[in-house]
Amino acid sequence: MMRATRRSFLAGAAALPFLRIKGAQARTPGILTFGLSSYPPTIQPWANAGTAALTVKLMIFRGLLGYDHQGALRGELAESWAQDGSHAWLFKLRDAVFQDGEKVTGADVKWTIEQIAAEKSTAYYRTEMQGVEAVETPDDRTVRIVMKQPTATLPEWLASAQLPIISRKSEGGQPVGAGPFVLKAQERGVSLDLEAFPHYYKPGLPKLKGLRAIAYADENLRVAALQTGDVDLIEYVPWQSMESIGKDSKLKLDTVDGPFMYLVFNGSKPPFDDARVRNAVAHAIKRDEIVKAAFFGRGSALAHLPIPAQSAFFNPALVDGWRYDPALAKQLLAEAGHGGGLTCSFLSTAQYGMHKDTAEVVQQNLAAVGIQAELNLPDWATRVALGNKGQYDMGVMGTTTDSNDPDGLGNLIDGSLSPAYVRSVGIKTPKLTALLQAGRAEFDTTKRKAIYRELEAAAIAEAPIVGLAWRSQGYAMQKDVTGFTNLPGALTFYSGITFEETAVG
Amino acid sequence: MVGYAARRLGIALALIWVVATIVFLVIHLIPGDPAELLLSQGGVAPDPAAVAELRARLGLDRPLLTQYASYLGRLAHGDLGASLLDDHAVAGEIALRLPRTIELIGAAGLIALILGLPAGTWAALRAGSAGDRALSGLAGIGLSIPVFVVGTLAILVFAQLLRWAPAGGYVAFARDPARHLIELAMPAGTIAVGLGAIIFRMTRSAVLEVFGRDHVRAARARGLTRTRIVLHHVVRGALSPVVTVLALHLGSLLGGTVLVEFLFNWPGLSGYLVRAVEARDYPEVVGIVLVISILLVILNFAVDLLYAVLDPRVRHV
Repeated sequence: MMRATRRSFLAGAAALPFLRIKGAQARTPGILTFGLSSYPPTIQPWANAGTAALTVKLMIFRGLLGYDHQGALRGELAESWAQDGSHAWLFKLRDAVFQDGEKVTGADVKWTIEQIAAEKSTAYYRTEMQGVEAVETPDDRTVRIVMKQPTATLPEWLASAQLPIISRKSEGGQPVGAGPFVLKAQERGVSLDLEAFPHYYKPGLPKLKGLRAIAYADENLRVAALQTGDVDLIEYVPWQSMESIGKDSKLKLDTVDGPFMYLVFNGSKPPFDDARVRNAVAHAIKRDEIVKAAFFGRGSALAHLPIPAQSAFFNPALVDGWRYDPALAKQLLAEAGHGGGLTCSFLSTAQYGMHKDTAEVVQQNLAAVGIQAELNLPDWATRVALGNKGQYDMGVMGTTTDSNDPDGLGNLIDGSLSPAYVRSVGIKTPKLTALLQAGRAEFDTTKRKAIYRELEAAAIAEAPIVGLAWRSQGYAMQKDVTGFTNLPGALTFYSGITFEETAVG
Repeated sequence: MVGYAARRLGIALALIWVVATIVFLVIHLIPGDPAELLLSQGGVAPDPAAVAELRARLGLDRPLLTQYASYLGRLAHGDLGASLLDDHAVAGEIALRLPRTIELIGAAGLIALILGLPAGTWAALRAGSAGDRALSGLAGIGLSIPVFVVGTLAILVFAQLLRWAPAGGYVAFARDPARHLIELAMPAGTIAVGLGAIIFRMTRSAVLEVFGRDHVRAARARGLTRTRIVLHHVVRGALSPVVTVLALHLGSLLGGTVLVEFLFNWPGLSGYLVRAVEARDYPEVVGIVLVISILLVILNFAVDLLYAVLDPRVRHV
């Protein structure tokens, strides 16, 4: 028997790092393990259930259109599309089958749109699809969608991952899609197992044999799982880990500035019923400090409407519309009758660090110009409820638009829409509403650009929201993962569409 | 004895009803609307018509008392309802997750006993020595170091540096027993650090106390070996307070493993409860809290009965 000496103990301890338990980080060839930021609350095709659900939906379902790696529209179940008269769009379907083997036909497209627009639907695109006058299907492979109003943005809507085409023969509440992966098994709250759909309409795709999506709610554990090789790819890379992942020779990081932080106001009562006060707030904020404090420098200042630089509608002339200018902020406050300063409530949430940190920087900046903002930091559910009811003076929000088209901004700045926590309450914006409608109905790109330039200038003057910062949105993966791409700008959360081209090993 | 048991059972049932009512009321009265939340995911503005429709479908538009009555009605039939998010049966989910939490707590208790009991005995037998002081110091650290620090360090050392274990997660025992145990080891070990320290301290003081008693002195006078005295007369006598403390702590861990479950991605009951509260999933929150309460009430009921068996005087109190 070997004697346990101090020397043998030390030698054993030194050898420990070389002991690896086989199988602890085992990989199955052709199967990619994906670290989700949360377990999708539901995988209902037409409900917006957050980003994790969106990514999973992009594995299982496909819509008429989608986006390529550069963020440009591309055909999915439709191989081509074109405007047909002032009110209609014509779509030619490709030869595709649903995961139950049934052919994808115009009747399925019609059925899908009818379900979304139905009276009792809770679909995300319900309002938009209620703008459909008729869906005509002259033959199995042709769909003509006639709108009640001229709608230039219909293709963008139909490219949304919230609007996949589902088989009208889906049974028992189990929606059948035509995406690259079939959901084989799921352990609620833990993981989902998907298998390649062999009859996917793109030859040779998907490249993977399957996908295993595991929910890691703790962002640090998600990063640790990537670093140890437990997972091949993770979403929502925490900002504080981006540097170490970027330096890790075994990993690669793919980030884009897409989502953004901004301020919302209660315009139904003083002081924020006055655009001058809202503008005073806008000019009082040092946006670089937010990027540094909340996002570890991973992002950039946003002193205009959140139209990304990659968008055709980006206007460099307005990029500093809400520049940091404390003197101007004080002057605007004085003009609005608040020369002696003012006190207001300031709603954010302690549940998400980025919301809390952003609010704290804004609070300090505002104090410097005489605005005492009293922070209210409830949990997220309470913050949403208070926001929807307008029970606040000013609040921090973070989101992204549905696409890189500025029409998506309507959700945030159109004062004619119902009260919601993502936009200000009680601020009438007739000019912005009219411009948004004009932009939606205009098919000529040059004219649309002019409309949105006017819209952005008007929005900067009225300040129905105030932009704060773009935040970097990152995916990180093992070096041998190829084909997965973080889509630009607002489309970052649609990056799951590139899983069909992703390969591992 | 039967009368005593019936009285205790009545009190237990009343307790369960009180808990059910309080939890139901509290979760409904705090701000936040599940329908609104469900349709507000991903920072989107929910369509008010869709919210109203969903509220009606989920029965949330009815007066609170009506909802309470139907909830009690369902409860009387043993039905805990279904998740507001995806209609998944709450009882089924609890049945899936409760054993995982119990397994985690059980494994932690076992590790804590294996480490704490012998170490506590050893330290007591050498009270005042350098070894005793070192162990007591270690126990002090184990007691005061927060569980998330232990967990994070464990992940850093065992998963990221040594690569002995995955960084966290869960694989069912039936699917891969070895991996299941590997994944259980870190979270259970993390809980065991604090628990082991408590057991160590309890054992040490209990052994010290028993060691001075007359029957031990008598055993020594009879010339019994030291090992025999320690095992048969000291440790056995010291066990009962240790086991009581352990049982109390394990009970409180039923709903208290949140941090460890979160840190290690262990899909147990605590993490489920936190997510349910965040989503204001009323049936899930009420169901989970109720099940935990029932377990605690049963535990207390069993202890009460045990006391009555051990000490007949209790029956007449």
